[in-house]
Amino acid sequence: MTDALPSPETVVVISAFALIYMLMLLRKTLQGKFDLYDFLMLSMVAIIPAGFTLFPTLAYLVSHLTGVVFPFVVMFGALFLVVFAFMHNMTARLHRLERQNCALIQEQSLLVLELQAKQGRQGVES
Amino acid sequence: MADMGLRLDSTNTCHNGAAAPQQGTSRVLIIIPCFNEEASVGGLLSEIAATGRGYHTLVVDDGSSDATSAVASCRSLVARLAQNLGIGGAVQTGIKYAARQDFDFCIQIDGDGQHDPRAIETLLEAYRRDPTNITIGSRFIDHAGFCSTRMRRAGIRLIVLALNGLFSGGRITDPTSGMRLLDRSAIAFFAKAYPTDFPEPISLAWAMRAGLTVSEVPVEMRARETGVSSIDGFKSASYMIRVLGYILLARLVRAS
Repeated sequence: MTDALPSPETVVVISAFALIYMLMLLRKTLQGKFDLYDFLMLSMVAIIPAGFTLFPTLAYLVSHLTGVVFPFVVMFGALFLVVFAFMHNMTARLHRLERQNCALIQEQSLLVLELQAKQGRQGVES
Repeated sequence: MADMGLRLDSTNTCHNGAAAPQQGTSRVLIIIPCFNEEASVGGLLSEIAATGRGYHTLVVDDGSSDATSAVASCRSLVARLAQNLGIGGAVQTGIKYAARQDFDFCIQIDGDGQHDPRAIETLLEAYRRDPTNITIGSRFIDHAGFCSTRMRRAGIRLIVLALNGLFSGGRITDPTSGMRLLDRSAIAFFAKAYPTDFPEPISLAWAMRAGLTVSEVPVEMRARETGVSSIDGFKSASYMIRVLGYILLARLVRAS
């Protein structure tokens, strides 16, 4: 099977998308909307297609190694893996935040009770 | 609220890790988790006051949008949660309060009027006779009073089979009962961690995994005075599957 190389137009379009998307992510990271981990994981959406387009020989090598006929299937597989890893991490973070949020709300209500009790005692003393 | 206290006589020897009741006054906290229960919580607090035992009560208002807090605060301490945390979060708030205020026992009863406050004394009597870390008020020992639908009872039987089959530490007939007494060990245990989803059966699994002991005493429950159950129709099947999954998970996880 002959390895088909991406056309110059494809390379330009994918590279432009990767560059613009990465710049957008970088700006949001600098604004503090994402942390470095988010930046790295989200930028994979640009890095992986760009890698497959700019280095077609490497893409074919990977597809031969993995036993998958088409490199773009490998590319989608890699993207899916990144999304899955990101989701895995986000689920754990969300669960931790949920627990912390629950504890915070409980503590706030208990502190109000403590404060009321203290004020009640002060009122009795005075 | 006047602290009349509760006298517990030392009658039984300690076993299974539960502390035998000591001679003297024990402090009992009644935890009442509520979510939009303005219609029933006032009556419930009056019934508790009518027992004449002078129990400390703590109503945990789980982010109600009605006047639950206003109604309850006339007769009881009220912990208001800024957001709805669900029954598990609300009950744990009360347990944390009991742990910090050094209560000897806490007893959870539902704010919807299903539990007869006179049964509080039945739980304490049961603890006096046979001290275990958790004492559950069970509908299914005497089968007296309101016993829910047949489908729901079948589901509860499945949970019972799972709990009794997978854990030792007590024979359970009513794992979903929201009326239960916790002693100091159970209070300390649940103040650290308490399940947020389906807390009644799963908390039992966690407790028995950690070596706490459980016993039951027959109580009569009433049909809820107001509101509807949150677990109905398709949710019942989902509830069953998830609870059984959590119980299995509790069995697999090493006790810490």
